[in-house]
Order: sequence, then C-alpha cells, then structure tokens
Amino acid sequence: MGICYKGLTLKEAIDEKERLFEKTGYAYGLKNLELVEQDPAKFMRFQMRLVAACINVREMAKLISANPASLIQGELLFLLANPEGDVTSTSYGLAGHLQSFPYIIRSIADLGFEEDPGINVGDIFATNDALYGAPHNADNYTWVPIIYKGELIGWTVGLNHIVDVGGLQPGGLGTISPNVFTDGFTYPPTKTGANFKQHRWWELHWKRRTRTEAFNVLDDKMRVAGCVALHDRILEIVEEFGIDYFRKALREIIERERRVLVDRIKSQAVPGIYHWLQFTRVSYKDVVGKLFAASNRDWVLHKPGEFHIKSDGSLFIDLEGLSSEGPFHCNGYPAGVRMLTSLGAWPMFAYTSTLNSALMYVEKWNLPPGSMFNPQNPFAATVMSLGEIGGYINMFHNCLSLAFFARGFLEETFPQDGTGVGYGLAGVLKDGFQWAGGDMTLITCWAQGATPYHDGFPAACCQPNPQPDMGETEMGEFLQPTNLNVGRKLVHDYCGHGKYRGGLGIGMCQMIVEPGQSLIMAVFAGAAGMGRGAIGMSGGYCGEQDLIVFCHDTNIRQILKEGGTYPTDFTEIREWLKQGKLKVGSVERYTSSSPNVLCKDGDLVAMASGARCGWGDVLERDLNLVQEDLRYDWVTPRTARLIYGVVTDDKGKVDTAESEKLRKQMRDTRRQRSVDAKEWWKEERQKVLKKEWREDLRNMFADALKYGKFRREFMGMWQLPDDYSL
Amino acid sequence: MQTEDTRFSKDNLRLLVEGKLDWEEVKRALRLRPKDADRFWKYLAVLQEKVPWKDRILLRISDHLYIVAKEGGGRIVKCDCGQEFGDYRINWKLSCRIYVRRTAEQLAEVVATEEAIPNPELVEIREFYCPGCFALLGVEQVPIGYPPVFEMLPDLDTFYREWLGKPLPDERPDWFQDRTLQKPAEWAKGK
Repeated sequence: MGICYKGLTLKEAIDEKERLFEKTGYAYGLKNLELVEQDPAKFMRFQMRLVAACINVREMAKLISANPASLIQGELLFLLANPEGDVTSTSYGLAGHLQSFPYIIRSIADLGFEEDPGINVGDIFATNDALYGAPHNADNYTWVPIIYKGELIGWTVGLNHIVDVGGLQPGGLGTISPNVFTDGFTYPPTKTGANFKQHRWWELHWKRRTRTEAFNVLDDKMRVAGCVALHDRILEIVEEFGIDYFRKALREIIERERRVLVDRIKSQAVPGIYHWLQFTRVSYKDVVGKLFAASNRDWVLHKPGEFHIKSDGSLFIDLEGLSSEGPFHCNGYPAGVRMLTSLGAWPMFAYTSTLNSALMYVEKWNLPPGSMFNPQNPFAATVMSLGEIGGYINMFHNCLSLAFFARGFLEETFPQDGTGVGYGLAGVLKDGFQWAGGDMTLITCWAQGATPYHDGFPAACCQPNPQPDMGETEMGEFLQPTNLNVGRKLVHDYCGHGKYRGGLGIGMCQMIVEPGQSLIMAVFAGAAGMGRGAIGMSGGYCGEQDLIVFCHDTNIRQILKEGGTYPTDFTEIREWLKQGKLKVGSVERYTSSSPNVLCKDGDLVAMASGARCGWGDVLERDLNLVQEDLRYDWVTPRTARLIYGVVTDDKGKVDTAESEKLRKQMRDTRRQRSVDAKEWWKEERQKVLKKEWREDLRNMFADALKYGKFRREFMGMWQLPDDYSL
Repeated sequence: MQTEDTRFSKDNLRLLVEGKLDWEEVKRALRLRPKDADRFWKYLAVLQEKVPWKDRILLRISDHLYIVAKEGGGRIVKCDCGQEFGDYRINWKLSCRIYVRRTAEQLAEVVATEEAIPNPELVEIREFYCPGCFALLGVEQVPIGYPPVFEMLPDLDTFYREWLGKPLPDERPDWFQDRTLQKPAEWAKGK
C-alpha cells in the first residue's frame, strides 16, 4: 500500500504522471479543467491563498538568516509542491529553483525513500547534490512532507544560496574544482530531522564541512522554520477547501498554466529554428598543477543552442555540439539546466504572479550524454555549473526577441547577453578568528540589452538574482569589514554599441582594509577573453566583457592622507597608473574568473560587469541620442567619433554636417575593406585546412567534431575531405 | 479587409518601429492582454509602406532584411535598399560583403573599453554588410573557422496556415529546410 492517493507508491505516482502527459499531451491527462470552469473565482482565490502562504512564511523565515544574500538580495524561495514533485505555488525569490524540485522528488522515489528511511509526518529531508536534482551545492533544499490522514498530499520546500560551501575556493561561486570531492560539502538526499525538528548531529556537518558555520546553521534553521510554518498553513487551507478540491486543484494549476504558456508563444512568436551561441574559457593551466594532472590545462567551451519553436507552440532545445564533460567546475545536470534557463523563459513568455512547474511541460531538451550538461562521470564537479548554464538564459531572450520582432511585437523584445561578477573571500583576522564570506553585488543590477526601438536601460534587472538592486553597501561592509567600497557607478563607453546602445555596465571598486593575518579573494566572472556573446543583434555589437583588476602594494593610504580624489573604478585606476599618481607593486588583470588572490591592506580591487549588447547599425544611430550620451558622459567624444561617426565641436555639440560626411567616409571604408562572401570563404577555409588554432581552440573544435550535427555543419561549410581530423 | 484592433493602432505601431513611440504608450502595449490579434497584418502594412519596392513581404527578419515572395515564384531575402540575397533557406550571410577584425587595433575600433578588447588569438569579429547599401546587417564574435551562424529559419507555411489561418499560395513541404551548405558546395566546385 503506497503513501500516495489511491494507494500508489511515490514512484508509481510519478510514473503515472509522466505516462499521462506522454499519452494525452495534457498535464495529468486533464483535457477538461473542471474546477476552473465550475468556479473560476474560487479557483483563483484558492491559488492566491497558496501563494500568499508561501510569501508569508518567506517574510517570517528570512529574518532567522544572517546571510546578506537571503536578507537583502532575495536569494531564497519557499514553495508548495504536489506529491509528484510538481511545484504549484511559490513565494518570490530564486524563481528558477522551483524547476529542480521535480527532479529531487523523482530521485528519492527511485532511491526507495518510501521504504527506507520512510516518509512520515514531521520528517525533514534535505539535499544540495546536483546528481540528485539540486542545481549545485550552494543551493540547499530542505523539504517536509504534508501527510493528511495517512496520504501524502504534497511537500513544502525551502531553499537558499548559502555563503560558503567548503570548496577549494571560499564562497559559493568557486570556479576551481576538478571533481566533486573538491566541490565542497555535498550531501545526497538525507533525512536530517524528525517531528519537525532537525537532529542535533546535522548542525555538526555545517560546522565541520563549511567555512561559515554561523551563516549556514542559521540558513538551515530558516529553511526548516519556513517549511514547517508553510506545512501548517497548507493544512489549514486543506480544511477550508476540502482534500478532494485541494488534490485536484494542484493538478489543474499546472495544466491551466501550460495552456497559457503555449498560447502566448503561438500568439506572439514565429515558428521555426533559431540559433544562439557563446564561447567561454576555463583556465586551470598552472593553477591546479600536478595534484590534478588531468585538470592542468585550459579549455575553450563551445556552447551552441538550436532553439525550435514548434508548430504546437512548444519548444525543443538541442544542445548537440556542447563541449564534453571534463575535470572542471562547470559540469551540470539536466535539473540545473532546466532550473537556470527558466530565468530566460519567465521574462520572455512565462511571466506569471503564480509561478509553478508548467514550464516543464512546454519544453523538451536534448542534452547529449557525455556533454558538459549530462556528465556520465558521477564524480563530475558541478560547484559552478550555473556559471556556464547561465549563458543559455540569453538564448531564450535573444531567440524569442527575434521571433517577437518578426511578428511585430517589438515591445516584447528583450535581448540580453550574460554573465556577472561575484566573489568569495576567506581570511584570518589579527586575533586568529577564521572567517569567510562572499558578495554577489555585480550579479545583481544588470543593464538591459538594446531593443529594436530604444537603448538598454542601465541597472535595470537581473536574471539569476531576483532582487535586481545591489543591496545595501553597509550590510556587506558590516559582515566583511576588510572590503571598503570606494566606488559603485556606471562606466562610460562600457556597453555593446549599435543603432540602439546596450545599457552601460557597472563598475565597483574596493579598498582592502586591515585584513589581519591573511585574506584571499576568489572572483567569479564569465566571458573569458572572448566577449559577452557571439552573435550581435541585427548588426549591433555584443556587450563588453567582465573585467577584474587587483592592485597590490599601492600608495592609496598616502593619497587618502593628502586628501582630494582617489580612483573609484577600473578606468580611473588605468588613468591614475598612466599618470603615475597611483603607485603599485604589482597589478593582476582578469577577464575571467581569478584563482585565489592574496590581498593586503591598501590593495585596490576593481570589478566591472553587466555591459549589454547593442541592436542595429552604429552608423544609423540618431544624432540626438549621441548628443544625449555625450551630455551625460555615457559615451566619450572619442567613442562617438570612432564608433558612431559623430563629430563634435569644442563645446561638445554634435556637428550634423561633419557627422554626415564622416559617416559617408566610414561607409566607403566598409566598401573598400570588405570582400565578397566567396573570397572570405576561400581565405577562412585555408586557415581551417591548415588548422591554424592555438591549443585550447583546437581542442574545442576537436571535441565539437565528435558530435554529428556540428561535424556535418563544419565539414559541409568548409567542404573538407572526409579524413579531415584534429 | 479585417477591421483594425485599435487598442494598439497602426499609427502607434509605425512610431514604435521608428523608435519614436512615447514610453507611456509602449508600456500600455506591454500591458495589453490579449494582444491585438491583427498586429502582424498591421506590421506588414507599415513595413510595405516603408520599403521602396513592390515585392510582397512575408516576414521581417532584421532591421533591414525581409523574406519576400517574388513575382515569378520563389521566396528570397531582400534588403530595404533593394539588394537581393537569394533563397531564404540559405544563410543570407553567405551573400554579404564581409570584413573581419583580427588584430587588436581592428578590434579596438568597435570595442571602446581598452581592457575589454577580446583576445585576438581567440576570436575575430565578423561584420556582414549589404552589398547594395553597406548597412551593417550582422555581427559575429567567434573563433577563426567557426561556421557562420544561421540565426533564424522560419517555418512560414506553418506560421501562415496554422497560426494565422491564411495559408500561403505556394505552400510546399521543402520550404522549411536549411539549404545553407549548398552554397559552399557550389563554391568548392568553382561556381
């Protein structure tokens, strides 16, 4: 006799759910939405009660946490799922994470949890293991079964992104980890408590396996408190609406939303095949050394995306050709892919105030086994899988923007290119106190890409972080006194240019203050040396990439003593260095994630991110828009001339006649410098035949050629002999 | 003629296309639910009025490029300047004029922040111009030797028949096929 309705076991219930959808095309086989049709107002009231309950417990529980990401950046989520694991209601917060939960429940069903360790009233379960459905180990899921008169009727779930996971690098965004054993504290699905209370031994794991015991223990208590409070609220709602209504309505929520999403695609998009692309690099050469010989190299990661909008309004996404799994930190599993990429679906077509799992029924994916997002090695590292999966959020933004643009819904376009900068840090204060922390400031507050009708807004939104503001500086400095913020601002020229300009990125500058015995920083960034995207929108340029600068042994304390100004972003650091005003012992520059960097008092660290893509031809930019850019110092006169062909007089006023003349010259230069496609093809083909690539690029192509689809396209495009190989 | 859904007028759509629509009106369009069902037809009418040639527009695919139905049959890509790029099932980039930025200096002409200039050993920036008016139609930032990306191949017959309810007169199953590799095959044979 199983724990679910009609005596089904959890595994049987999940198998039935999948069978019904496969057979009928409706979630749970629901051709008719009886409850919705009978009394839509009651149904909406029921649904809103569930959402309100989730939001209510989130606002209560988050006060238990001390983690700034939970408290001020919204990096948490509380949700209700039905027995089969489909999420029906959530609070606001880390919205994407609801997509992982069905995978987690499928895992515990397949692992036989119903028999051992059993699923009982008051049990508490938890996992952060990517192999079993969590996106990566920084995202910790805690959940509690709702059992009503012996029947499992749902789960309440709490999750958040913790400060430190105890990995090779401090923080929760480590980008050096050759395998799961260096990822840090990873625990498969575990029963961690009973009678609505965590076992005492469970806290010891946070204490012994991670650097930030205080934050992590309080986060764990937050998640449990939220789950248990939500459990009780839901039981009240069951009493009010009745168990039959409750059981049936949770399913109708999913099917009703599925229809809304399909209809939105069919009413706003154009069916067909769209392509997206991104390249990033992983740099382990001479970082992990002999200890991890297989990882002592660099990689260029090939990230193609074939985005099918099908005739029935569903989506099929084929990642064949994606780089293979490897001994690096960014492998991921399907659950993490479905989770993070949903952050591209929510804004583009799946927006709703009642988030739920319906998106799972609208998308199908091909993640080839052995590729980076379907590793066959169970010990693959996944600590920062989201760094690479995150790029695919923008596949939704850009492919759907093209589809909406073609259909005439320009207002619905929202192109984006990705990545942001964050860091983990760990140190020992003067008195020997060991501490660690992290900062996701530049993983919030991103600019918007340009649209076909206006420039991208700066500091507009954020995909992976629900609270797009940067959070209070004071909270960050209170918890991490060694990092004093001396600058946070938009950086001029720092965007992708076009007829419409991408939103400017943000620069942040910090001074390191009295770290004590030691302090290391490990900065996470993407777009390593290869730009923020690979395809511009309608002739616009891609956004400019992430930037990190460490200045060691500086004279900043002397500068401060003398009073007056000091550098507050990487462009000013550059100028002060050139002018000799800022003196340094050494400078470290990165356009991708840094290794662990030792910092001392008086060091300066500047980071910049969030510069977004342009749209359209730069030579068609309205002169009035360039004038405004110049007035607000969003673009410099040098860039206005060089890129936009705009001439200004000595007072900074645009000279229309001279600008038209310069633009004509620039078009003539295009005519002279360009060649017919056939000529270009011949020249590029010679380079392919001679295999003129450096080692990491050559390895990338060699790896991609293992996958049939890319091989056909590559061999066909360059008309290569059959025995061509790398 | 279908009566216009004036909740979002054709005039406002023209202003939106020209980047001149007042932001409050744009927000009203964003909030419009359901959307104006005749949006696509109004869009084609606005676009047809803007281009100097007579071929019937089937779909706009970028600022300057359209898939049009040719008088004698065939569906091709055409620039608003009149330049024609051939069968829409072949990546139009292979009918462009192309300029490739390979050195740091060339890259610096279009990347304003010196620290953000991509590594020339890793990527080149390809610029695809219209051979007629030399508008910049497409940009790629890819390693040498990466096949040009075919950004969008629409399924026009499904779109017109099933989604719009107005089948195209020249429907054929082979319209929805990527035929890009025909061109390099011809080039290889010296055509």
